[in-house]
Amino acid sequence: MSYLLPHLHSGWAVDQAILAEEERAVVIRFGHDWDETCMQMDEVLASVAETIKNFAVIYLVDISEVPDFNTMYELYDPCTIMFFFRNKHIMIDLGTGNNNKINWALKDKQEFIDIVETVYRGARKGRGLVVSPKDYSTKYRY
Amino acid sequence: MHLFVRNFAGRTLSLSLPEGGATVGALKESVEAREGIPARHFGVLYGNKELTEGDSLLESYGVSGGATLHLTGKLLGGMQAPVVPKPRLDFLNSRPPANYVAGLGRGATGFTTRSDIGPARAAPDLPDRTATTIGGAAAAPAGAGRGRGKGGEAEEEEEAEEKGYDENQKFDEFEGNDVGLFASGEYDEDDKEADAVWEDIDKRMDSRRKDRREARLKKEIEKYRASNPKITEQFADLKRKLVTLSATEWESIPEIGDYSLRNKKKRFESFVPPPDTLFERAKQEHEHATALDPRSRAAGVDTPYGQTPVTDLTAVGEGRGTVLSLKLDRLSDSVSGLTVVDPKGYLTDLKSMKINSDAEISDIKKARLLLKSVIQTNPKHAPGWIAAARLEEVAGKIQAARNFIQQGCEECPQNEDVWLEACRLATPKNAKAVLAQGVKAIPNSVKLWMQASKLEGDDISKSRVLRKALEHIPDSVRIWKAVVELAKEDDARILLSRAVECCPLHVELWLALARLETYDNAKRVLNKAREMLPTETSIWITAAKLEEANKNTVTVARIIDRAIRSLQRDGVSIDREAWMKEAESAERAGSVATCQAIINSTIGIGVEEEDRKRTWVADADECKKRGSVETARAIYAHALAAFPGKKSVWLRAAQLEKSHGTRESLDAMLKKAVGYCPQAEVLWLMGAKEKWLAGDVPSARAILQEAYAAIPNSEEIWLAAFKLEFENHEPERARMLLAKARERGGTERVWMKSAIVEREIGNVDKERELLEEGLEKFPQFHKLWLMLGQLKDRIGQPEAARETYDKALRNCPHSTPLWLSAAALEEKVGGLSKARAVLTKARLKNPHNPELWLAAIRVEAHAGNKKESESLMAKALQDCPSSGRLWAEAIDMAPRPQRKSKSVDALKRCDQDPFVIAAVAKLFWQDRKVDKARSWLNRAVTLSPDIGDFWAQLYKFELQHSGEDVQQEVIQRCAAAEPRHGERWTKVSKAVENAHFSTEQILKKLVLAAKDEETM
Repeated sequence: MSYLLPHLHSGWAVDQAILAEEERAVVIRFGHDWDETCMQMDEVLASVAETIKNFAVIYLVDISEVPDFNTMYELYDPCTIMFFFRNKHIMIDLGTGNNNKINWALKDKQEFIDIVETVYRGARKGRGLVVSPKDYSTKYRY
Repeated sequence: MHLFVRNFAGRTLSLSLPEGGATVGALKESVEAREGIPARHFGVLYGNKELTEGDSLLESYGVSGGATLHLTGKLLGGMQAPVVPKPRLDFLNSRPPANYVAGLGRGATGFTTRSDIGPARAAPDLPDRTATTIGGAAAAPAGAGRGRGKGGEAEEEEEAEEKGYDENQKFDEFEGNDVGLFASGEYDEDDKEADAVWEDIDKRMDSRRKDRREARLKKEIEKYRASNPKITEQFADLKRKLVTLSATEWESIPEIGDYSLRNKKKRFESFVPPPDTLFERAKQEHEHATALDPRSRAAGVDTPYGQTPVTDLTAVGEGRGTVLSLKLDRLSDSVSGLTVVDPKGYLTDLKSMKINSDAEISDIKKARLLLKSVIQTNPKHAPGWIAAARLEEVAGKIQAARNFIQQGCEECPQNEDVWLEACRLATPKNAKAVLAQGVKAIPNSVKLWMQASKLEGDDISKSRVLRKALEHIPDSVRIWKAVVELAKEDDARILLSRAVECCPLHVELWLALARLETYDNAKRVLNKAREMLPTETSIWITAAKLEEANKNTVTVARIIDRAIRSLQRDGVSIDREAWMKEAESAERAGSVATCQAIINSTIGIGVEEEDRKRTWVADADECKKRGSVETARAIYAHALAAFPGKKSVWLRAAQLEKSHGTRESLDAMLKKAVGYCPQAEVLWLMGAKEKWLAGDVPSARAILQEAYAAIPNSEEIWLAAFKLEFENHEPERARMLLAKARERGGTERVWMKSAIVEREIGNVDKERELLEEGLEKFPQFHKLWLMLGQLKDRIGQPEAARETYDKALRNCPHSTPLWLSAAALEEKVGGLSKARAVLTKARLKNPHNPELWLAAIRVEAHAGNKKESESLMAKALQDCPSSGRLWAEAIDMAPRPQRKSKSVDALKRCDQDPFVIAAVAKLFWQDRKVDKARSWLNRAVTLSPDIGDFWAQLYKFELQHSGEDVQQEVIQRCAAAEPRHGERWTKVSKAVENAHFSTEQILKKLVLAAKDEETM
């Protein structure tokens, strides 16, 4: 479903996308459209994009096309979701130990919406780190 | 087709365009190519038409070959094109700028969670761009595996070519990037010449302008100076004047301080709290050094001192000082080669050490080592063992301590200290056993036996232990005493009789025995004791007391005499003071006869002949002060026996009797006294007064007659007799007495008294006669004048009275009462101004007299001149600032709200003045502060019991605020004090009708009179 979402084709575009949004959170999925995990993720992203358009915008980035952030953001997973608000990387405590990103495919739409909303609300208050409404540590995943 | 185009400069260009189909746009392009002006900036005219349509053919405008066209400039005008808002999402479709480094534009920073992957943070601010590109290039292949392949590298190269400007180009601030425009050119001869020429020109121009410039500069400086003068110039004239300054003036110029704001502002001061370790260290030093300190010597008894860190700075200082002195001592040791440290003392000091901190543990170790060597080298040295045991105890190892002391006991069984220490350290169970061993080893150690008895619980076993001890040490007084204390009375007697045999030299045992025995036995015991201890005074005194207790008063004196003699014989010096003490204690024990005997036999010892009287009187005074009346009496008796003719001794003895004895004894004493000193008026008068007070008028009269017979010409006695008669309402007798006295040539007092009698009787003529007679003889006696004046005033002859006062004041100008009376007369007669004049005159003659001031103030106040009286008061207070009467009046005069402050002022000036105190008391009274008012009134009364006004005030106060008994007490106190003075008091007491009133009557009358007034 990646074709329903805007892609960013260069590092500059990524930066502009992050800078351009004043009032909304920016959700960026780094990965490959052909990747299985990304496909699952994109399915969710595409279906919620309209729902969350008031407080978040979603972009996709192909990390082969735009490898500029691979080192910076340690993009070695098949699918990575990162959140930005007003040019600030918003960390989220998911219980996984990596607060920087979501690096698996989140298959539940409502959960994703909740996470984005939490990020948005926290970021609006100036928080750099928000706590995810659900704990995604391995204990609960399996 | 060939065309000519005239350009902006007026030159004509010739252009050749392709034949047929040449458009306007092609024409413009060719012009642009020739002229370098962009096509959009000019238009082309043919005739009057502009060729606007770029696409249309030239032919359509009628332009043919050889035609001349004109260029025109396009003028700007019209409205500005609206700014199209940049689409926000344009980044989605537009190309990125060349050489953009991702993340740099928004200052993004990465993160590192996995360092095994390599440095995550791409340094966006690297100085060399090539490094970044290399990084980027290096990053590209990483993603290549997954992505598009090698396309990235080609792109990089392309971008590098597009850079377009030289990275290394220098940028100059002033000239911009153009600095290197000619930098490549060489500096040759021509350049050099050109530079020289330019320099010359500059110089020339400069010299031409120089004068003008300098003049201008100078003028500017002057102008600046004029507006901002220097300080030195400002004060130049003053500075010149410094020449005239004298040395002292120069000295008195104050130093200028540093008043700048910077210094005024408190510099930041930081106080670093000293660490606790410092205090601890200091305290330890102190503890070490002052092991000699008695406080720490009682080892093991008190709780360890200083467990909580005490931050006593003085202690720290002291500690430091002691350490220093100790170090100095050691230095001096090493210098002289001899040690001043007492090894024994050092050891005993060691034992008093305690652990105060961990740091001392090392000291304990050291001490342990030391003591070990002491013990080993000298095992028979008991203190070493004790010290070792104590050290262990202090260290908390009680078992080790016991072991040490056990060894010590074995090594030095003859030392009782070791045994005692062992007993102390042993468990309560073992203590007895240890002591048993101890007494076995040293059977005659009193200390050990006492300790053993202490360990016993009940009295019986205690006394058993002690008796056992006595078997071993029969001559120990301590043990005997302990045994006797524990025994019952009978046993005690038996024990004591044995005790005195064993220790015959101890008085206490003898005396205790004597106390327990019956009279006869006691006598025997005391006699025996005397034989044993011939020099002991207390045996003698006890014997005397014993005799007295058994009613043998006669023998008492004998015993004391014998005692003195035998003691002197045995070479004991008789200490008078000590014997006096004994006498007093005997008196306190109720043995009056012994006391008297002691005084009689010892009072004269060791006193010089000429000092006797003085010493004895002083002794008696001392005794009286200490409350030993009998002793004092005995001393006086002895003194009077020695000096029967001394009036002063008699007087003192009589006073003693009066204060402490009965009336009879006093009578007897006085009778004896006048028998020995018939010339002493005082004694006679005292006797007569005593009689009179006892209500025995005839005998008083008899005494006075006797006195008269003894001292025929004494005026005192005359007057006393007169007073007796007068007070007992026998004016006729009094008159006769006075007449006689006058005949004998009495003094002015006799005349005065005579006049008083006449006044009392109401015989005006006689009175005046007497007064005039008296005044002829004694014109300087102001009281007579006063009486005369008052008499005349009384009988309604103010003129005569005035005359009298005039005369009187001429004779005695310094008599205040006269002045006051004169003024009062004037005031009464009605001449305020005259009264004023009199008082002013009085003040002139008697400056600094508060009473005159007061009178003046009152005169004004009566006349209603409040202002005048106040100003007078102010003057008066200036004149006599410490007069309590004036202050009291001032307080009264002040309006009520100001009284308090006035009273504070008054108290500041004269805080001990009874008048002020009474005035303050009145204030309290008005404020209903009863307790305070009472205490202040009492203060006033005690300060001057002679002034009746205060008594009246107090009485009135008590009438209002307390019960009957308190009022009675006030009356009694007043009667005892017999007040005579006081303004209101005298007004009542001196009135003719009140002449015979008692103090109490006067007091009551005064209070009644004062009831009408608002306050007193």
